[in-house]
Amino acid sequence: MIAGNTSKDSAEADNSPVKKKNPLYEASTQYRNWRYSPERLEAVRTQLNAAAVAKIRNTFEADEPGSSANVAFLSASEEHLLVKLYVSKIPQLCGHFHFPEEVEATAITYLKRFYLKNTVMDWHPKNVMLTTLFLATKTTNNPISLEAYTSNIPKTSASDVLDLEFLVAQSLGFEFAVWHAHRALWGIWLDLQSLTDLPEDLRPQDIYEIALKHVRASRFTDAELIYTPSQIALTCLSIASPLLSQRWAASKTASSSISEPLSELLKDTLGAINAMVTQNGHPPDIESVREVDRRLKLCKNPEKVVGSKAYLARIAEEERLSERKRNKKAEDVRRALGEGADPFGSDLSDKEQAKRLAELDDDD
Amino acid sequence: MDAVEKANAERQKRWAKDQKVGEGTYAVVYRGREAVNQRKVAIKKIKVGQFKDGLDMSAIREVKYLRELHHQNIIELLDVFSSKTNLNLVLEFLDSDLEMIIKDRTLVFLPADIKSWMAMTFRGLEFCHRNFVLHRDLKPNNLLIASDGQLKIADFGLARDFADPGYKMTCQVITRWYRPPELLYGSRYYSTAVDVWSVGCIFAELMLRTPYLPGETDMDQLKTIFRALGTPTEEDWPGHTKLPDYVPVGQFPRTPLRDLFTAATADALNLLGKCLIYEPRKRISARDALHHPYFFALPYPSHPSKLPKVSTQTPSRPLEEVDGNVDMNASGPGVKAAAPNRLKRKLTSPGDELSGRPLARRLDFTQKRV
Ligand SMILES: Nc1ncnc2c1ncn2[C@@H]1O[C@H](COP(=O)(O)OP(=O)(O)OP(=O)(O)O)[C@@H](O)[C@H]1O
Ligand SMILES: [Mg+2]
Repeated sequence: MIAGNTSKDSAEADNSPVKKKNPLYEASTQYRNWRYSPERLEAVRTQLNAAAVAKIRNTFEADEPGSSANVAFLSASEEHLLVKLYVSKIPQLCGHFHFPEEVEATAITYLKRFYLKNTVMDWHPKNVMLTTLFLATKTTNNPISLEAYTSNIPKTSASDVLDLEFLVAQSLGFEFAVWHAHRALWGIWLDLQSLTDLPEDLRPQDIYEIALKHVRASRFTDAELIYTPSQIALTCLSIASPLLSQRWAASKTASSSISEPLSELLKDTLGAINAMVTQNGHPPDIESVREVDRRLKLCKNPEKVVGSKAYLARIAEEERLSERKRNKKAEDVRRALGEGADPFGSDLSDKEQAKRLAELDDDD
Repeated sequence: MDAVEKANAERQKRWAKDQKVGEGTYAVVYRGREAVNQRKVAIKKIKVGQFKDGLDMSAIREVKYLRELHHQNIIELLDVFSSKTNLNLVLEFLDSDLEMIIKDRTLVFLPADIKSWMAMTFRGLEFCHRNFVLHRDLKPNNLLIASDGQLKIADFGLARDFADPGYKMTCQVITRWYRPPELLYGSRYYSTAVDVWSVGCIFAELMLRTPYLPGETDMDQLKTIFRALGTPTEEDWPGHTKLPDYVPVGQFPRTPLRDLFTAATADALNLLGKCLIYEPRKRISARDALHHPYFFALPYPSHPSKLPKVSTQTPSRPLEEVDGNVDMNASGPGVKAAAPNRLKRKLTSPGDELSGRPLARRLDFTQKRV
């Protein structure tokens, strides 16, 4: 699924210059499940962080009472900073592999969404980033083999990617389709081609390129979790050329009153996105992230460290539970196949029994 | 348990899995129920662990598109959850497919019935195309039929979106008999028109009750098409001789559709002809097809509930092969996790697909039982 790349899809949301909505976008999983208000976004991250800290603290304490007292756990904003660093690695890798922009944008979205459901103290963003990128090549239909992928990334094995792929897909709710701002910008750009009487010295192609740069910068921010792709695209166009964005908006408004083309509400929205993109649209300062990463080594969840005592205990517990479940299920089946099953008392043939057993699922 | 695992466990609990009802190329399908209301569902279990490149592309495509597309004539994906390393898609349960109905010789189709199936197919397809999704594998067996007669497009394992017009794509899609000539000639730039050709073939098959263009090889497929519709000229289809895999396959005259479809109305043949136009850009779109006079002329489409249904519901869909995951000799419970030497599911090659369903291979457990 793609963001609106035709003129009629380019305007959406309540405060768009055009009242007509985009039913396709509004039916999307992105619209329904992955949009937040700034406050809500903040709350989600804070709660996730608090729950993670409480749980890891417990694990430390269970292992050795008092051991969590001096651990400096990461705060929500520190987690976010680390994720942002790994967001900035994705364009680098995509450049190396010559992946299309769709892959890059999608992987970044996945990485951000993943950390709205998980904490970096459980899953370090390095491998999660590698996994979201690999997954994005597939979901955007640009697959490469895992071998080709990992052999081109230093110190990376197939299992670094595969072990997390399922968790990532699950965290995304298996909602793989993403609507992107760069596509919406492309839609606006196509519309602009048909605008007449633009000033002579206006260079639309250059403006488009600059706007696209701003769209790319917006990927370092939370904009896509708060605003629609078209709002972001229009903002980026307006940064590049206020005039062009006004003309486009005017052309979309039924009563093309060029003097007052943007509603106050939309102006506020564009202003907020503009602030985000210009202030936060860049990778984080390496030094401050380094400090966070150093502390992460001391506060990460021991249950997720392969081979640790807590890890082994967790695996054993999981195995015990599924064993019990399997036994119960098999017992149920045997009982059902036994005397009580058929009210008329006729025996199931051996073959029938075998078939019923074979038809049972083997994993739950 | 992590929040993500917990959410998954919650989802899993909503659905009960019963017995196996079928098996496709990359999945096993079970009948199931929704725990709260016993609504019948189908649970399609995709084994993830077995692919060296991780989650398999067909599974990804199917989930990606079905998650977004909600329409009366597209199969509804109700939920997705995982169990161990398997991906489970919970789908609405659909009793039969159009292939079974076409093959059931006891059923008589009225022109109004065919019109109804065609309308539902085009409605579902128009919605896909409106959402920039190409199906790329339309055939009677992928048009499933609900108990209320509604037709639902299923099997999005080959689907993709066509964001950039002119974006290169693989031509190795669509089961051969339903594959349009531009793909057979290796065209990499194609669009919604490929699906419309397939629907045209299905339309013809509904009238004939036998596949319309059953080529035996890719080369023979072109010949079969040209024998039926005439070899295209440069005027019919400008530039086709420049396509990557172009080869001349002989000159066949164009015979009027009327000669074969003797009972069809003029409107029906006009629509069929427009679905089977050689030049992809001139082929009718799904949206225009829905506005074609055929759908507004008498007889009106049958109400879905009045459509012919497969008569024998047991077994509703044949079991192809019994999974070899039972160890009858074990002293413990009869069911265990996959044995290391378990039977591999049979993969159908494109060739097999065309020569009919793979032969049922049943295991005889009676000998071994202790
Ligand atoms: N929604 C459903 N309701 C009821 N039965 C279904 C449903 N979906 C699939 N089945 C049954 O499971 C079988 C396997 O379905 P699946 O879609 O995996 O593969 P297929 O279409 O048969 O083959 P292929 O994978 O080659 O396309 C079907 O043939 C059918 O018998
Ligand atoms: Mg199928």
